[in-house]
Amino acid sequence: MAREKETTLYIGPQHPGITGNMMVKVKVQGDTITNASVHVGYLHRAFEKLIERRNWLQSFTILCRFCVPEPDPMELTYARAVEEIEGREVPERAKYIRTMVMEMARLQSFMLWYGGQSGSSGLYTLGQWSVGDRNYLLDLFEDLTGGRIYHMYIWPGGVRRDLPKGFKDKALKTMDYIEKRLDEYDKLLFDNVIFQKRAQGVGIIPSDKAIEWGVVGAPLRGCGIKADVRIDEPYEAYDKADFIVPTFEGGDIWARAQVRRIEARQSISIIRQMLDKMPEGEVYNKVPNPMKWKIPAGEAWAKTESVRGEVGFYVVSDGSEYPRRVHVKGAAYTNGVTVTEKILVGQNIADVSFILNSMGVCPPEIER
Amino acid sequence: MLEKEQKLLEILKSAFQVEGKVIRNRRVEIWDHKEMVPAILLMVKTQLGYKHLNHITCIDWLEEGKFQLVYTVFSHTDKLTLFVKTKIDRDPAIMPNIDDIWDQANTYERELREMYGIEFPGLVGDQEFILEDWDEMPPMRRDFKTDVYAEKTFFAQPGREDAQDVRETITKRSGEEIPEFAKKYSRD
Amino acid sequence: MENKRNSQTIAEYIKNWSRKHSLFIMAYGTGCGAIEIPATLTSRYDAERLGIRGAATPRQADVLLITGYLATKTLKRVIRVYEQMQDPKYVIAFGSCTINGGMYYDSYNTINVLEKYIPVDVYINGCMPRPEAVIAGFQQLQDKIARGEADNGTRYKENLEWYRANQHRVIKNWRMPDYNW
Repeated sequence: MAREKETTLYIGPQHPGITGNMMVKVKVQGDTITNASVHVGYLHRAFEKLIERRNWLQSFTILCRFCVPEPDPMELTYARAVEEIEGREVPERAKYIRTMVMEMARLQSFMLWYGGQSGSSGLYTLGQWSVGDRNYLLDLFEDLTGGRIYHMYIWPGGVRRDLPKGFKDKALKTMDYIEKRLDEYDKLLFDNVIFQKRAQGVGIIPSDKAIEWGVVGAPLRGCGIKADVRIDEPYEAYDKADFIVPTFEGGDIWARAQVRRIEARQSISIIRQMLDKMPEGEVYNKVPNPMKWKIPAGEAWAKTESVRGEVGFYVVSDGSEYPRRVHVKGAAYTNGVTVTEKILVGQNIADVSFILNSMGVCPPEIER
Repeated sequence: MLEKEQKLLEILKSAFQVEGKVIRNRRVEIWDHKEMVPAILLMVKTQLGYKHLNHITCIDWLEEGKFQLVYTVFSHTDKLTLFVKTKIDRDPAIMPNIDDIWDQANTYERELREMYGIEFPGLVGDQEFILEDWDEMPPMRRDFKTDVYAEKTFFAQPGREDAQDVRETITKRSGEEIPEFAKKYSRD
Repeated sequence: MENKRNSQTIAEYIKNWSRKHSLFIMAYGTGCGAIEIPATLTSRYDAERLGIRGAATPRQADVLLITGYLATKTLKRVIRVYEQMQDPKYVIAFGSCTINGGMYYDSYNTINVLEKYIPVDVYINGCMPRPEAVIAGFQQLQDKIARGEADNGTRYKENLEWYRANQHRVIKNWRMPDYNW
């Protein structure tokens, strides 16, 4: 075969298949990618700098905007780091509510992923369904927190307020509906020959390299490695929940999709368990006047599991009203930059957005 | 309790004479000089199974004139997190490069180079990672004043400076009346 | 009989009427507000019943949605996209951060007032605006088009120097081709 000339292509930042505002620069020979580099920074808002100018509670408005599709893990991780430095206790009921909120956030993010993953392979019907159904979950969030996307619901020391009246019934009803719908999504996506053929054997992460490359979350579990913050370091009420962490062999898009398929159902199951087992009592420990609230000097590292993988916060306090440093390691940082650059080599151009969606790349989390 | 953590700390103490402590369960921290950090990281990666580099954090202690670097590594077998901490001079800030140990450290270090101005000898990759055409001091340094820069560079919308009520302007536009109770917040 | 309707000629009226019912929005999620666009376009809110739907490239698009804050790096791309769009073109600015900087007023990397850099037809406030607000914003734009007042593409061309001066203040290294209208 004659060697074709190498061409450089810029996919993004304005491209319908890209997962947000970022750019992938690929070198191609014919249809095959020979080199890829991910360019980020289009969404850099200097959050970590701005947090140094906000006090401990004001930071929450900024924190939830770190990753738009799934803001709650950011709030929880920061709250947990602050609680660890300060030694603040969380009431038992708040732990259950937090776990439930986290799983609701995961579930609505899975629904968005269904839309992205199917849309990038041309199956637009599923996108219409799952993104439409996601609104029912956002309605639950609205009842609970007052906001559709950004909630600012989880605080250091608990959650902002108790469940509203009738929430449990509504939530259970929504869960029943979504569980029913998930079966229909499966028929459209996983029983679809187009998706099977496009997903199997594409975008392979070698399982012996996965940990070393820094892969986290569903892509790592798609390599057959059982790693999940929820079981490695159980936080909140996860140790009281009964759930499985699925793993699949192969490391390709198909395996990652299968992991997410099971996890979406596990989320529903955890939400039901949390609503069922939730004890009565207080939902927050009172925090002092936020304008004068000082946190003792110290450092803490907290992490939680989001849809895309582990989210870690390194919080440093110097004893004043303002955080000294809040460093965020989003799951997409390695998954979306170095790992994506590596697995894109040798793939087809048409699969770029397919692979990006399966890795759960979320640009605002990378550049912050 | 804390046996795994103590054991890890003892191994590291005997191998490198580092200072360190067990913070709580699943968290161990050690402190060393910057020259020793690559050796420690290579040892924990190859021999102790700490294969996952979470991130590299930089904290600017402007008052001391130091940068504190924290390398967070995680072991998927022990489920332990180890922090390797070091302090380096702020000016000039030079730190040994570790992207031959972990490939993903390349992007972390490029970010630190851009945001804090820390040089990593031998680091390859574009100078620009997140910012574009930046010609001021590295922005995450604490002596960089972001509000001053923003005021100088960008336009401000009138009304932002005193956060007063802007209902008057809006009512002029839409032709509705200001309610009596709201008049005391008005601009004039 | 006078050949006029609502102070427009009949030809103009028909032109504007058909324009307002076919708004193709540019698929460029510039900021966090982009998360509400899928919700707006899909089954529950179904913006397509108003003639609003996505377009993949600037040449095919009528409406540029600026969904939230703009980092200076993105501003450069937005200007490029805006200049590639064909007349008539409209800009809808989304969220508080395009109006006055919002919560990013002191950030060194986000612009504060969008209309200094490209002309804006409709602002939708909120952080972030709900799909209902987005649809209301689109309806305002449609009214504006029907009245024949949405001619910001021409305004941009006429005042290009003023806009360019503002853009150069933020974008330090101007390596863009001069756009040939």
